[in-house]
Amino acid sequence: MSEPVIRIQNLEKTFGDNTVLRDINLEVNRGEVVVVLGPSGSGKSTMLRCINRLETPTAGHIWFEDVDVCDKHTNLNEVRSRLGMVFQNFNLFPNLTAKKNVMLAQRKVLKRSAEEAERVAIARLEEVGLGERVDYKPSELSGGQQQRVAIARALAMDPHVMLFDEATSALDPELVRDVLGVMRGLAEGGMTMIVVTHEMGFARDVADRVIFMDGGLIVEEGTPEQVFDNPQHQRTKDFLGHIA
Amino acid sequence: MGPLSRFADISKGRGVSLALLLLAAVLLACALPVQAHALTTERFTAKSNQDGADGIMGATDTRITWQGQADADEQLTSVTITLPEGSALPTDGTTVTVLDGLTRLNLPSTVTEDGTSVTAAFEEPTPAGTMVMLELNNARFPAEGGTYSVAGTYTTADGTTADLPDGGKTIQVTGTTPQEELASWLGDQGWVQAWNSNKFLHLFFDPTIVVTTVPAVFWGWLLALALVAISFPLAIPLGLCWSFLRMAKNPVSRAIGSTYINIIRGTPLFLQIYIAFFGLPLLGIQMDNFVLGIIVLVMNSSAYLAEIFRAGIQSINKGQFEAARSLGMNGAQTMIFVIIPQTFRRVIPTMTSEFILMYKDTSLLAAVGVMEIMMYSKTITAATGNVTPYIVAAFFYLVVTIPLTKVINVMEERLVSGRPKHRRTNNLPEKTPASLSGTVAAVAAEGSEAAVAQTMRMSEGFSHGPQAIASDSLYAKMRGKDV
Repeated sequence: MSEPVIRIQNLEKTFGDNTVLRDINLEVNRGEVVVVLGPSGSGKSTMLRCINRLETPTAGHIWFEDVDVCDKHTNLNEVRSRLGMVFQNFNLFPNLTAKKNVMLAQRKVLKRSAEEAERVAIARLEEVGLGERVDYKPSELSGGQQQRVAIARALAMDPHVMLFDEATSALDPELVRDVLGVMRGLAEGGMTMIVVTHEMGFARDVADRVIFMDGGLIVEEGTPEQVFDNPQHQRTKDFLGHIA
Repeated sequence: MGPLSRFADISKGRGVSLALLLLAAVLLACALPVQAHALTTERFTAKSNQDGADGIMGATDTRITWQGQADADEQLTSVTITLPEGSALPTDGTTVTVLDGLTRLNLPSTVTEDGTSVTAAFEEPTPAGTMVMLELNNARFPAEGGTYSVAGTYTTADGTTADLPDGGKTIQVTGTTPQEELASWLGDQGWVQAWNSNKFLHLFFDPTIVVTTVPAVFWGWLLALALVAISFPLAIPLGLCWSFLRMAKNPVSRAIGSTYINIIRGTPLFLQIYIAFFGLPLLGIQMDNFVLGIIVLVMNSSAYLAEIFRAGIQSINKGQFEAARSLGMNGAQTMIFVIIPQTFRRVIPTMTSEFILMYKDTSLLAAVGVMEIMMYSKTITAATGNVTPYIVAAFFYLVVTIPLTKVINVMEERLVSGRPKHRRTNNLPEKTPASLSGTVAAVAAEGSEAAVAQTMRMSEGFSHGPQAIASDSLYAKMRGKDV
């Protein structure tokens, strides 16, 4: 098919005595949507955060487009600017309007002119359905709107991969739909995505591949049909059974 | 100046020789329209009217005394004393006394006033060779002050009128300011006298001292304002530097930062002032008091501000660091464009408190001779033995601190209440219908816990920061990592 854009090899991560990830191996191809499922504490988020080095792996290697993310000499800021990340709690800059939130890193990291950054910001905010809200502060927006601003902020950097860390978990149920809609649109547009979520419907509809993690290990991996309809491991069955 | 030069001529003529004396007498006779008289001014004085000192102040009631000795053959019919332009005539009458040797003569006289002149006219000419004394009770010299000698005329029984010789006697009058005039006017008012008859009110709130103290302390107030207006803006960037050192990943930088902060915060400002003001001159470093005062205030305040900034930075949600870093911003960009703007909003109330502290602390500089509020009031209190100047000083501090305290309260209210977003997310668990499927409920429970935790941390604002700071290990984590 196509070349892997992210390769994770023998990734381990411990926090003190607590081993969160043990021997994770994963390849994500360009244009692929990988949904990561698993109970709380299974290490899903930590794995995601290791990819853009918000967490430093204890052992193992991660390559992003042939750049070794774990190498000391790697320019992490450059890597991160091509790896968009969306957080559970949005993490918008509360003192800036939606537009300024989307503009800031474009200006400072990509060194875009104010005009270009503004043009891109407005375009991205329109794409996520917030063309009317560009001058609102985060506190004046609903949770779903804030999360869509956060997605626009990541997209404005023209990332090659988008990482979603439980992007809808902090949202009111009726607001989840809008955010998932934006994510679905992104997937259909061919964006490479790694999505940590609890939204089973989204996983089934949108994922190219579903990964089930537990206890810091990838327990099961396959197409949505394989994992949801015919899980091989008892742990996966229990988890999906409990959820369903 | 006329009388003075004539007097000089006489003394010179006498001193040289008889011939010259005769010549001088002839010349004088020609020069003067009237025959020279020998009345001499024995005394021209005024009674001290200055609080706590023995000077004579202008525009303030005093008793002016003139005393003249008539010559052996002189009989006086009237004496006129003309006070300088701008003087006020006696409000309490003029006492006329005639002495023959040690005997006090009871000679009827009438006193008339005209312009700034007081004339005492005797019904009968005074016996020859008597001493005449005029006491002008509660007269006032001009406000501007100066050196005054007696001016006026006298008339003898033979009808001749001559200028009063000044006899070399002068009165030194200290000029008075409008507020001193106001004070002396107030001192004459019945209600002020009634007020001051209460010992407490007199000692702490004497209106006459208030009006003279306020303008003097005003200058000290301006100096104190100048001290903080210069020091505080300088202390802010320095404080930021210390806070960065304190949080640096390099252990040496961190040690320097925390050592400085701990030493400054662990010793009294008063001691630091003494070390700076007495230590530096011993090292041969001479510096203007004002400049040295600023240096000490900046050094002191920057340590406190550093801790305020550190707490403020660490109270910012770790998600803000993560979001900025995940977008590719480096550590400095994250600090400058994301964290510090939010920190400043949060620490402005605390910084304002620190500003108030610094403003009050300028008073300590009085001990080393910086002419600020306390210095002025201390000086006036020392001269008058009255506490009122300290009360005036308190007023000058309060006029700045009370409005600022109000401003802080408003800002803190805004910080706590001005975040509708968080109230909304706080409601999340309640808004999740119980009938929802297990999936959503589980998700909501897991997610909302974190959201609520974050929400509380942010909406608590800075005032309840310590727990948030303690739980916020991320900054330390990020420090230990890259860049």
